[in-house]
Amino acid sequence: MAGIQTQAKPRQSRLRVREVLGSLTFRYIAKYVIVLSATVFLLLAVLYALFSRNYFNELGASIVDELDSLQIIYRGQGMQGVEQYIKDSVTRPAFHRFSYLVLDESDMPIAGDLPPDSSYEEFDDGWLAFQMNLLNWGEEIEVDFLARRMPLDSRYRVIVARSYRDAVNQAGLVVLTLLRAMIATVILGVIGGFLSASRTLSQVDQLNIQLQRILRGNPRQRLDADAQKGYVRDLALIVNDTLDQMESLMQGVRNVSDNIAHDLRTPLTRMHNRLSQLRNQLDDEGREGVQSVIEDCDELLSTFNALLRISALESGGQLSDAAQLDLTELLADVVELYEPLAHARGIAINNRVDLPFNINGDVDLLFQMFANLLDNAIKYSPGGRSIAIELQRASGEDQLTVIVADSGPGIPDAERENVFRRFYRLESARSEQPGHGLGLSLARAITQYHGGALELANNKPGLQVRVHLPSSDSGD
Amino acid sequence: MKVLLIEDDLSVGQFVVEELRAAGHHCVHLADGPAGLEAGRAGGFDVMVVDRMLPRLDGLSVVRTLRAEKVSTPVLFLSALGEVDDRVQGLQSGGDDYLVKPFSIEELMARLEVLYRRRASFAGDAVTHLDVDDLHMDLLSQTVTRGEQVLSLQPREYKLLEYLMRHADQVVTRAMLLEHVWGYHFDPQTNVIDVHISRLRQKIDREFERPLLHTVRGAGYRLGGNTDAG
Repeated sequence: MAGIQTQAKPRQSRLRVREVLGSLTFRYIAKYVIVLSATVFLLLAVLYALFSRNYFNELGASIVDELDSLQIIYRGQGMQGVEQYIKDSVTRPAFHRFSYLVLDESDMPIAGDLPPDSSYEEFDDGWLAFQMNLLNWGEEIEVDFLARRMPLDSRYRVIVARSYRDAVNQAGLVVLTLLRAMIATVILGVIGGFLSASRTLSQVDQLNIQLQRILRGNPRQRLDADAQKGYVRDLALIVNDTLDQMESLMQGVRNVSDNIAHDLRTPLTRMHNRLSQLRNQLDDEGREGVQSVIEDCDELLSTFNALLRISALESGGQLSDAAQLDLTELLADVVELYEPLAHARGIAINNRVDLPFNINGDVDLLFQMFANLLDNAIKYSPGGRSIAIELQRASGEDQLTVIVADSGPGIPDAERENVFRRFYRLESARSEQPGHGLGLSLARAITQYHGGALELANNKPGLQVRVHLPSSDSGD
Repeated sequence: MKVLLIEDDLSVGQFVVEELRAAGHHCVHLADGPAGLEAGRAGGFDVMVVDRMLPRLDGLSVVRTLRAEKVSTPVLFLSALGEVDDRVQGLQSGGDDYLVKPFSIEELMARLEVLYRRRASFAGDAVTHLDVDDLHMDLLSQTVTRGEQVLSLQPREYKLLEYLMRHADQVVTRAMLLEHVWGYHFDPQTNVIDVHISRLRQKIDREFERPLLHTVRGAGYRLGGNTDAG
């Protein structure tokens, strides 16, 4: 069995990290960041594509313009003029100007600075692309060129090419700028999104936690709508309304069954009384028969009483100004009362509660609850096994937990909530064990009446009932 | 035993009256508060059974008034309410015992008997020992002997036996034992008391010819030398 979690600090912080990672706020922000980054990245890609397309269009247009200029020069001044023009142009560094090649009808170069045998690759109607090595600050580098071929007349053809190294450089620059912008956008977006969303979302998270707590064990509690603002407040109000309706429906059903119990109690009592009178007039044999009917009657009455008692506890709100009592002493008394019964069935009760623990409560109700739990544990434990009772209290917490653990067949996970329903009994228990199926309902009603909670867990093997009660001692 | 019953539920009242008379007791039945108060003042009863909810003047007020007027007749409250504080309230206003409806007539009779005998034996001051047949309990040295033999009892067995001996020859119900020997008012799902009784029976009866601890079917237990009843 797990020990007392007095030194649970590291475990707690790990739990908190997991809680944060699993929280609605965090998941929302994470999704927000992913979507934001993807959007910015897409935008960047589109911008880059548009930019390069533009640049290449301009580059192509400038080559066509240059070819037109050469055509005009050739028409006006002939091949001599073209050669002179090209000679003047190629004195500038090759990166920032056009490169030329003029060929005659036998493909012999006449003018220009492009090598004649470059592996020109035609990729579109008249457009060529190739790579060439150029000297850059005394170092040879490979440069991409875009070129276009055009006949000047039937004898001469001319090729004009221009490097697009600038374009690549500039595009790189643009991408870098955009990338920085994107990172800045994402960072600012995350901060902005976090600030705007976290408040609302943490409110929703709180509601979530509260709501889970309500559904798990305290149907009377409501969400704290006044602490919220805006639409979260509206949401809390709606949820509260829904819970109210649910409770009133449940109350309705309960009232019907309580009324039945209440109304049947009177005729049953009368029947019981008449039978008692009848018994006294009978001989011994008749007495036996009537007595057993009276006992059945008593059992029915005790079921109805238990049912009404649960209702009274559930509708009575919470215990007020209760006396302080020593829980350890009470547990010892319960154990002492049930020990002979357990012993008769070959079951040992191992009571490990020894230090005094004070709580505020109703002695008889608490005794009833622990008696019910112990009674169940004895009923369902196989002979030769033991039942363990222990008390846990985390330091600094104003709650203590009493654990009653048996090694019986236990309760399957799926049935854990059902067993608290009135008259609900596991199939296996229905046939084998006596009882009216109200023991756990009553135990839970008593815990809740004391402001505590009752929880079932797997004892591996067996059932572990954990009773959480508010402690009246200040934590040490 | 003269019983004054103040109860407005006629069917319950009639039944109780018939049963008490059948058991040889004298019983007066009144159905409202002021009439009950008058009869209580007039006196002459050994015990009173008072319902908490009565027309015109409730049972708590009736008893409170009687106690203020120094009427000390023992009172057993009847109540349909099973609320937590009811018992405490009833006892605080001067009641001596408290029974929640529906109750069995055996339970009521057993409790009335105890109230009646307690009053009758009030004269005897500090008791130092109890005797039932050849069973002897020394309250000072806390030892128990039967005949010549010393019996060794656990603390709870001792308390159980003490209660039974103090109410020797009376029927003691399981609920009364839980209330007085264990000090708790609750409804056991199983007859846990029976196991305690059988343990005690082992110690005080097993090696002796004449059994002292008897089970009274439908009611409880009785400690005593004569075996006829039960």
